[in-house]
Amino acid sequence: MAMMEEPLALPSGTVARSRPLGAFSRPRETSGLVTWLTTVDHKKIGIMYGAAALFFLIIGGIAALMIRVQLAVPDSEFLSAEFYNQVFTMHGTVMVFLVVMPIGAAFANYLMPLQVGARDVAFPRINAFSFWVFFFGGLMLNTSWFLGGGADGGWFNYAPNNGIAFSPSNGIDFWNIGLFIAGIGSLTGSVNLITTVLNMRAPGMSLMKTPVFTWMTLVTQFLLLLAIPVLTVAQILLASDRLFGANFFNVEQGADPLLWQHLFWIFGHPEVYLMILPAFGIVSEIIPTFSRKPIFGYPFMVFSGIAIGFMGWGVWAHHMFVSGIGPLSVAAFTVATMFIAVPTGVKILNWLATMWGGKIILNTAMLFSIALVIQFTVGGLSGVSHAMAAHDTQQTDTYYIVAHFHYVLFGGAFFGFIGGMYFWWPKAFGYMLSERIGKLQFWLMVIGFNLTFGPMHILGLQGMPRRMQTYSDAHGFNFWNMAATIGSFILGFSTLMILLNAFVSYRKWVAADRPNVGADPWDARTLEWSIQSPAPDHNFDHDPVVTSLDDFWHRKYQKDENGVLRRVATGDELAQPGNGEGVHLPAPSYWPIVLAGSIPIIGYGVIYSLWLVIPGAVLMMASIYGWALEPADDLDIDDHHDDHAKELETVS
Amino acid sequence: MSTTKTRKRSFMPRTFVSRALPVAGAALVLSACADDKPLNTFEPRGPRAQSLYDLMFDSGTWYVMGIVFVLVTFGGIFVAIKNRVDPATYDPEDLPVQTHGNITLEVAWTILPAVVLAIISVFVVRTIFELEEPNEPGELDVMVIGQQWWWEYRYDVDGDGFFTDGNGDGVVDEADQELPLEIALDPDDVVTATEMVIPAGEQVDLILTSRDVIHSFWIPRLNGKRDTVPGRWHTWSLEADEPGKYTGWCTEYCGLSHARMRMSVIALDDAEFDAWLANQQQQAEVPSDPEAAAGREIFANQCVSCHVIDDGEFEYPENFAETVPLVSHAAPNLTHFATRSTYAGGIFGSYAGPGTDPDDDALDASVYNQLSELSQNPDSPDDYRWNTAELKRWVANAPGQKAMASDVNPDTGLGRGMLPFPQLTDEELDQVVAYLATLD
Amino acid sequence: MTDIADSATDVVDDVASADDHAPADHGHDDHGGHHTSLGLSNMKLAMWLFLGSECLLFGALISTFLLSKARFITELVAGNPRVIESIPAGLAEEFIEAGTVEPIYDIPFTSGSSFILLMSSLTMVLAHKAVSEDDDLQTKIWLGATALLGSTFMAGQVYEFTVFYREGIEYGTSLYGSAFYTLTGFHGAHVTGGILMLLSLLVLAFRGKLKSNRAETVELVGLYWHFVDIVWVLIFTIVYLIP
Repeated sequence: MAMMEEPLALPSGTVARSRPLGAFSRPRETSGLVTWLTTVDHKKIGIMYGAAALFFLIIGGIAALMIRVQLAVPDSEFLSAEFYNQVFTMHGTVMVFLVVMPIGAAFANYLMPLQVGARDVAFPRINAFSFWVFFFGGLMLNTSWFLGGGADGGWFNYAPNNGIAFSPSNGIDFWNIGLFIAGIGSLTGSVNLITTVLNMRAPGMSLMKTPVFTWMTLVTQFLLLLAIPVLTVAQILLASDRLFGANFFNVEQGADPLLWQHLFWIFGHPEVYLMILPAFGIVSEIIPTFSRKPIFGYPFMVFSGIAIGFMGWGVWAHHMFVSGIGPLSVAAFTVATMFIAVPTGVKILNWLATMWGGKIILNTAMLFSIALVIQFTVGGLSGVSHAMAAHDTQQTDTYYIVAHFHYVLFGGAFFGFIGGMYFWWPKAFGYMLSERIGKLQFWLMVIGFNLTFGPMHILGLQGMPRRMQTYSDAHGFNFWNMAATIGSFILGFSTLMILLNAFVSYRKWVAADRPNVGADPWDARTLEWSIQSPAPDHNFDHDPVVTSLDDFWHRKYQKDENGVLRRVATGDELAQPGNGEGVHLPAPSYWPIVLAGSIPIIGYGVIYSLWLVIPGAVLMMASIYGWALEPADDLDIDDHHDDHAKELETVS
Repeated sequence: MSTTKTRKRSFMPRTFVSRALPVAGAALVLSACADDKPLNTFEPRGPRAQSLYDLMFDSGTWYVMGIVFVLVTFGGIFVAIKNRVDPATYDPEDLPVQTHGNITLEVAWTILPAVVLAIISVFVVRTIFELEEPNEPGELDVMVIGQQWWWEYRYDVDGDGFFTDGNGDGVVDEADQELPLEIALDPDDVVTATEMVIPAGEQVDLILTSRDVIHSFWIPRLNGKRDTVPGRWHTWSLEADEPGKYTGWCTEYCGLSHARMRMSVIALDDAEFDAWLANQQQQAEVPSDPEAAAGREIFANQCVSCHVIDDGEFEYPENFAETVPLVSHAAPNLTHFATRSTYAGGIFGSYAGPGTDPDDDALDASVYNQLSELSQNPDSPDDYRWNTAELKRWVANAPGQKAMASDVNPDTGLGRGMLPFPQLTDEELDQVVAYLATLD
Repeated sequence: MTDIADSATDVVDDVASADDHAPADHGHDDHGGHHTSLGLSNMKLAMWLFLGSECLLFGALISTFLLSKARFITELVAGNPRVIESIPAGLAEEFIEAGTVEPIYDIPFTSGSSFILLMSSLTMVLAHKAVSEDDDLQTKIWLGATALLGSTFMAGQVYEFTVFYREGIEYGTSLYGSAFYTLTGFHGAHVTGGILMLLSLLVLAFRGKLKSNRAETVELVGLYWHFVDIVWVLIFTIVYLIP
């Protein structure tokens, strides 16, 4: 949060001069691995978030398939109880914290500064730090597989089962410390992105002229900002108990185990919304673009997103309807939870109304978006059925809940993310993904997804509990479990097809001598399409000036004298050329990755030996000073730079 | 009793057709193979479960869900297909009407769901409080105690509350618990494990707690679930309309063998229940048969540091619970082991015979009290037999049959499950099993 | 640990990056940084957001403390032997008799150290005023005074911890001990972070590099410092004053 690095214009062309305070010079590589390790460019960082998430997706996906193989038949001995418990815990943890959240962060990082017409985020080095600390935290969490086994307390990790007496291995310590470290990244990231949205919008872009995706990013980051510290406190209490002998969850000393549940779900429910809202933002960009209409009821879309963000704080105890919190609390949280369906319902109807009367181009991105609307609705409806606390006593901790949140998070959020990848891929990489493979992927995913998770509704209502290593033939769960397992393999394969598509399409593009995909291949609406593809390092040659919502669209289409909308220019004609004369960017830096790397060393030290904390802390302090004393730039800075910036402002 | 109330107040006709149609798909699938789904929540067998089942129909929730699902799914697909254009031939200037929104419409579809949800909430809130209604004074109360990975039940036979006046303040209340591991018990009360036996047609109130981690008690056909939290006392209730066996499962993740923490409720008619209860209040007999007597000797040497058998001869120290080398400081009380049809956390059947699969609900409740007798009578048809082989395997090597962290933690000196007994010979195992078979 | 480090990053970072742009800013004192949509500088906005997040952190910690203390007292009064054994016999009796943990506190002493911490907010304001007016001497004096007052408070806290520890309230034995040391320790870590920031500013001031163009950096550290003070007022009220 503390950086006065200015991403805006500085003059270039003068000779580099070493600065007296500079302990080390900035890295100067322009290509290769080092540029990625030291980059402070929000676009590269966004891509790295996405790549890291896909990497973790493969780990979480293998865990998911192992669960499905284990449950395909009754009394299966494919996985031992001990390993199964680790696998389902790590599946949930990895998917939530290391896949869905970072994919959201990937889109937010890449797109939001482009959508608000900024040259970078407010604090570029902190942005890099956020990514690396998340990535190292995630890696540390996953090293537990090789260091005595993963966490086995469930992703929700209820006390006192998470205590040292019930889980003596280090798995839960890795869960605790790894997520704590990743949480630091989320926190710094949220401060950074909120500042960017609020403070760095292009001239003329009032908040009510910002794209819906940017709005959803803002709400999401606020949720993170305020939810992460609550989880942090829970983790500190747990770490104190496990590693330093404190008594926060020690029932023998009179502690109340429900404290963990309250803290975890006060974090956990906003967490749910911060996973889905980015996907809501994504489809709110895709559906208008391919319906050739503006989003229906922009203010309602914005305010319903904000309402979801607010109400998300008042419903946490609906995860605890059977925890014994008393009928009054249960009734209150039931009512609160029921009404959170209202703003989500508004969103769904507004998307449908956007499509209503449109001219719909059913390409892959649009198909995924429509699937999100429908599948999320299914998840939302089952959500209403277990918002009804009384009936929830029959549903909670059964596969009905598993079905519910996979419909929301996979059928909702993840479908939205895949749609978003198809939509923005040309912007990020300069080539289109194959529509043929895309549509095949879509249909396989729809079939695989619904075959996997649809039957879980039935299984749950038939009484199959969650987190079960096995079941018996007499329970009668065989048929639908086998169906779900078959579906899960279709789903697993079809998910990987995004990588296949990226590879095949890239080869084709290279073979065709890298044709320019153009600035605006979809005839889209927001500012990111007004620059070249792939987006140039400096984003905008000059600050765009915004006069309306979907400003770029309104510059392309204007009413003629008869009041008929006519295309006055194509996106490519209007797009900024991307030459970036005179634009100067924040220089890359080693320190974000070094500082981020020092934190897991301390983490390992806390788990294994406090002696290891010392080199970690030394490295951390050293990198903080290295960071602080680093020259903001290798290039000379002189008094012209502010004038130059003013010049640019006047030009725009 | 709540069922009848609900029926009178319901505004939806309760005919078969009106119920089945809107949820045809789900209901058909759920009830198609009704008989082999012992945990099915769509087949309530008690008033509490019935009221939960009815709630979703009476409040109209299933119908609303069905309608919205159909509208959004088919509406979405319909609009997408109807309005689609061919991108190859589409003229970008052929724009649709650029609607930006419609305040009336949007306010309407904000308010309408809110109203529907408000109506549904009324039903839910009513049911929430109905679920908390206690039984009549004098009716049976049972304490349910979860621990890794089995259930203990304590019957307040004399109806004086659950605890002795441990701290001597003249009042029997929560302060009398010796937190949280040991629950003081009247001498005339009954302790059993894994299977809860209740009288059919009577509301049995439960007090739930735990000795280690959080568990959840769930008999789907009789009621929803409620967590058992260490250090806390939760109330819940069960009622079965008819005698029978109702299976359940621990539904709060509780560690290693969570999947093997199962239980059942056996509902008996009044006479059978009274007979059962009278028997449970008896002390166990010291066997005279030489094989069983030898088994009792082995039990006295190997097993009494954890297991209680109240036969008037075994002596347990005052602070027995503290000496049990388990994290929960409790192992199943085996005084009437042979009356139970399942053991080991409800995953093994003590008897072989019709309907004795522990996960099946097919057991005939009317023979429940006779299981031991039938299995011992060589003249009766060969229906029920003591399941010797499985029980021997269990006694010899319990952790091999069910994942348990039984090895003693060097820091605490405590384990979390039954130890293996490799030192017992085959003959000795036979003797132990013969002894256990006498505990009826 | 990380917390202190974070805070330290902040200040050093402020200092260094401000330094980087010093030549440019020098000629444009009136410019006040780049145009922002809210008219508030990025740094200040970020600091406010960070403090918002900190509110939730302390909110959760204070709630934990309240719950733990209540459970501790309830169990103690109810006679839970394990809870009684978790603190020394004499103290347990005193607590049970009072129905609260109040007997352990030395309210006048802690009031004194609280007063010292509150006074440091005043000196912080003066430091900011001085640096805005390019008054080097006063800047040094008031920054130093703030750091000194903060350190005095910390010394008081360390003293209090040792007294409690000697009386038999240990971190690992009782629920109350765990809750008390965690909450106050976390606050102490925040104060320590603040002192590190102040010292960094002081170093800068002695090197003659803390001028009015960096008044905002001082203001940001001040924001953080005031926040930590306000949190202490809450903690003092909740932990010490409310029975």
